[in-house]
Amino acid sequence: MLAIEAHDLEKTFRSGCLRRRETRALRGVSLSIPRGAIFGVLGPNGAGKTTLLSILATLLLPDRGRATILGHDLRQEPGAIRRRLNMASGNASFLWSLRVEEILAFYGRLYGLSGRALQSRVDELVAVCELTTHRRVQYNELSTGLKQRLALAKSLVNRPELLFLDEPTLGLDPAVSVRVRAQIAALRHDRGTTIVLTTHYMREAEELCDEIAFIKGGRILALGTADDLKRRIRVGDVIALRVDAAGAATLAAHPGVLRSVTEDGWVELTVDSAEKRLGELLQRLHESGAVVRDVQIREPQLEDVFVELAR
Amino acid sequence: MREEAIRVWAFALRNLLMASRNIFFLFELTFWPMVGVLSIGLMTRFLRLSPDEASFVLIGTMALSTVQVCQLDVSYAVLYDVWSKSMKHQFLAPIAVRHLTVGSWLVGMARGLVVFTLLAALAWWAFGFNPLATGPGRLALFLLGCFLTAWIVGVLVCALVMLFGTRAEASAWAAVNLVLVLAGIYYPISVLPGPVAGIAQAIPLTYFLDMFRSHFGFASEFATPLAWGFGLSAAYIGFSHWALGAAINRTRRTGLLLRMSE
Repeated sequence: MLAIEAHDLEKTFRSGCLRRRETRALRGVSLSIPRGAIFGVLGPNGAGKTTLLSILATLLLPDRGRATILGHDLRQEPGAIRRRLNMASGNASFLWSLRVEEILAFYGRLYGLSGRALQSRVDELVAVCELTTHRRVQYNELSTGLKQRLALAKSLVNRPELLFLDEPTLGLDPAVSVRVRAQIAALRHDRGTTIVLTTHYMREAEELCDEIAFIKGGRILALGTADDLKRRIRVGDVIALRVDAAGAATLAAHPGVLRSVTEDGWVELTVDSAEKRLGELLQRLHESGAVVRDVQIREPQLEDVFVELAR
Repeated sequence: MREEAIRVWAFALRNLLMASRNIFFLFELTFWPMVGVLSIGLMTRFLRLSPDEASFVLIGTMALSTVQVCQLDVSYAVLYDVWSKSMKHQFLAPIAVRHLTVGSWLVGMARGLVVFTLLAALAWWAFGFNPLATGPGRLALFLLGCFLTAWIVGVLVCALVMLFGTRAEASAWAAVNLVLVLAGIYYPISVLPGPVAGIAQAIPLTYFLDMFRSHFGFASEFATPLAWGFGLSAAYIGFSHWALGAAINRTRRTGLLLRMSE
């Protein structure tokens, strides 16, 4: 069963009265997301990630293309879709004077909750999102991390079957990010919620997502699991050498070296094949008299794939 | 039906909470309306207007404040979200335009009633004008007319804000004044120039003011003011809600809904 099936979605934003400017945000995006999956949408700024999520969440109308969300047609049955999905974004904002529990209750009512059901839902969300001690604090007095947690709590108020998370850990400290990621994983595990998320943190995508779409210029450039992508987008292997600066300078020009980054006494070389090049590089360093203190070979990271595709 | 009522209540409660936590709203409710009645009332004394003429002008002043306070509450339904950049959250939920406007209108009517009561007490104490002299039925119809006009203007302001974003914010305070000027706030609409008087006849409040003032010694300019007032109100309520719905759909097309949430 598919949670989302989208075909050839296109969206162009137009601005300006006298000098019309057009920005093609999506250029024929198609994707299928099975129910219960965590699907990542990655891409550089302005790639079209938020536009894609907003269309799938019924906040934006596509110019062309069609989509079925949880079995409902995106254009014909937006009301039925809205009952079953929700969304949280990293830069979410709410009414400044309302308290945490009032904000959750307000959105709960919009989904038809009232009385004891509403109260217990608010209590549950406040507890799950660790907002108990802040439940009577007004929104404008919350820290960034607490605002983010409130946004996540709000997005769970209707127990959505489909949840869109637009950079859910943006601006959070590492400890809170870890807890938010654990919550996201638990949502899928415990409730079978389908989750579509955008993030700039590659580790987050690699840790959480079953499948990832790389989007750039409004087009999906690659789609697959993190391992698939690393295999398919052949970015090479990484050889990390702890070597003095003089020795490092000669390595970037060596045949087969695709990229060279020097940081904290380490030289990270992305090469076409570690097996083939390691010996050559060590030989070269030996000949130049450089002292090699440590050598590591590692698999390419999702970040390397991202950099390659975003280039 | 129950879910409908819950969604309406959500917006009503939200407006109520916001209003109760902002000192500016207290000014809106008491200071400006009372200053209006006092200054206009004193002017009627200075000009030595007859009691009937003074009541004519005071009714206009009270209507102005009542309609304005109620209309602002309806406009806040959208303005709160524009100011807090939280617009997309409510339109992500399965709500309809009616939930938004009816909920905020209920609070607007409650606040309008408070304003009218305050001003009636002040006008009676300071200038001997008793708006309750018409009896409860006529007064209730007059107030309902004021609230219906406020609802229509408020919903149209919401539509403008959805169409033009924060650039249309000023209409929340300007639109109702224009409507009241045309509806004959301090004068019968017969004094307006021909084409403008024609526009005045298309405003529901014109008829409710006419009906209420007829009790204070002014001959009614219309044969069936209530029928016209309610008939026009019904038509405009339908139109304004259609306009707001269309404006919201447009924001989903143009992306303004997202831009207003950033």
